[in-house]
Amino acid sequence: MAVKDNIKPTRSELIELKKKIKLSQSGHKLLKMKRDGLILELFAILEKAKDIRAEVEKQFALASQKLAIAKSVEGVIVVKSIAFALKDTPKLELESKNVMGVVVPKIEASSVHKKLDEHGYGIIGTTSRIDEAVDAYEILVEKIILAAEIETTMKKLLEDIEKTKRRVNALEFKVIPELSEAKDFIVLRLEEMERENTFRLKRIKG
Amino acid sequence: MGVSNAVKYAYIVARVRAMKSKLIPREMYPKFLNMDIPEIIRFIEESEYKNDVDELSKKYKGTDLFEHSLSRNLALTYRKLIEVSQNEANFLITEYLRSWDIWNIKTILRGKFSGASEEEILEGVVSAGQLRYRDLTELVKIDTVEGVIAALSGTPYYPALEGYKGDLAEIENALDKWYYSKRIAAATETGNKLFLKFLRTEIDLKNLNILFRMKKAGMERDDIAKLLIPGGLELKEADLNRLASLPFPEFVRALEEYSYWSTIADISNDLTSLIQIETRLEKHALVYASQISHYYPLSILPILDYILSKKIEVDNLRIIVRGKETKLPEEIIKSHLVM
Repeated sequence: MAVKDNIKPTRSELIELKKKIKLSQSGHKLLKMKRDGLILELFAILEKAKDIRAEVEKQFALASQKLAIAKSVEGVIVVKSIAFALKDTPKLELESKNVMGVVVPKIEASSVHKKLDEHGYGIIGTTSRIDEAVDAYEILVEKIILAAEIETTMKKLLEDIEKTKRRVNALEFKVIPELSEAKDFIVLRLEEMERENTFRLKRIKG
Repeated sequence: MGVSNAVKYAYIVARVRAMKSKLIPREMYPKFLNMDIPEIIRFIEESEYKNDVDELSKKYKGTDLFEHSLSRNLALTYRKLIEVSQNEANFLITEYLRSWDIWNIKTILRGKFSGASEEEILEGVVSAGQLRYRDLTELVKIDTVEGVIAALSGTPYYPALEGYKGDLAEIENALDKWYYSKRIAAATETGNKLFLKFLRTEIDLKNLNILFRMKKAGMERDDIAKLLIPGGLELKEADLNRLASLPFPEFVRALEEYSYWSTIADISNDLTSLIQIETRLEKHALVYASQISHYYPLSILPILDYILSKKIEVDNLRIIVRGKETKLPEEIIKSHLVM
């Protein structure tokens, strides 16, 4: 066996292996705990993601209807003209936070949902159909930003859970068994050498 | 109204009556609701809008062609009214249709503000006012908002525009306020009391619209007050100040004191959306204009009725086609139609 070929059956190697096994076992325990913690975190995020997805879909339907009313009653020409008056575009700031060692994004948005008199167009010459379409889309953009944050967090957590799971399995089914096998081999080999030594000494005495 | 004035209006009113007879009959709208978009477009292509559809068919397709054809036809119809009218009628029509000049100026300024292309801006222009298409094209060629304002320095719109300091909404509001005051001044000058009453009612309805929107958005009293238009019929300055200072629920209750309440009373319980309130108020103005137009058959009123009827026709057709295109429920489409 390849493992046995590279092993020097010495006491120091045995001590080294024992240390490695202990370390692997404690690493395995920690990684299992991390995996379980991440799964719990994922379930909490999953609920939020489901809610925000439903909210985005609902808001999108509402915003589409409001825009459809504005386009029908005011006309596409009017809607386009008013859209030209848009003052400033939303600003996004991307930060990061740490969830059990996983770096996830935190998106801070400003200038998305504005007050009525901050939309850039005059109030007297426009109607509530325009206001409501603008409001509905601004709220939609806010929800999309929140959904992006939550869904990216979920994706990152899933990736990390997968990675942690692979590490746990590798430790559990490959690294620790191989180290244990190597340790057993060294123990066996050392015992064999001990017996050979005893036999040799007895022969010399005899 | 004196006999001489009646004679002055005889020609233009006869022209307007002939033009009105060509409007799409109101009983057609329920039929349109049951038609598909291609069927409605085919109907329009064979109607008074034929030339407009033919003219624009190279540039636009489908519902865009439909909307631009309606818009072009409206512009040409209003321009025709300005051209065939004389003296007082011409003066009042021109003043009334200034709203289109204001619309075009706003569109050009917005386009320049956002850096839109000349073609994009011109798509939003409807030359139904005093400013002709070639004047507007020249304005569109100017690069900056400040440049456009400077080019308008010889026009009556300049005083409302010259205070521009980077806030488009501010000059848009100033232009609109100027427009309402100019119309009132023009109507006062001619002494047509019924026309003046209609314009003052329109101001009331516009102020109500502004109050509803601003109050619902939780805006401060001072911010609201600077937008309100003076010269209303029922809503005098003191009324407006009082209404502007009330919280939204109290403001709605306070409207019970005014005649407009009957127009919106049944839908005043659900104010999550103001669209229905606004539609009701708009319809109130249109119905009122139609009613008073019969009082003085040889005056500005039948012309005003035609101007509004033509606008209603264009709006109704657009609402039906765009509503069908965007798959709006039929009851929403119907609620916005004026039939």
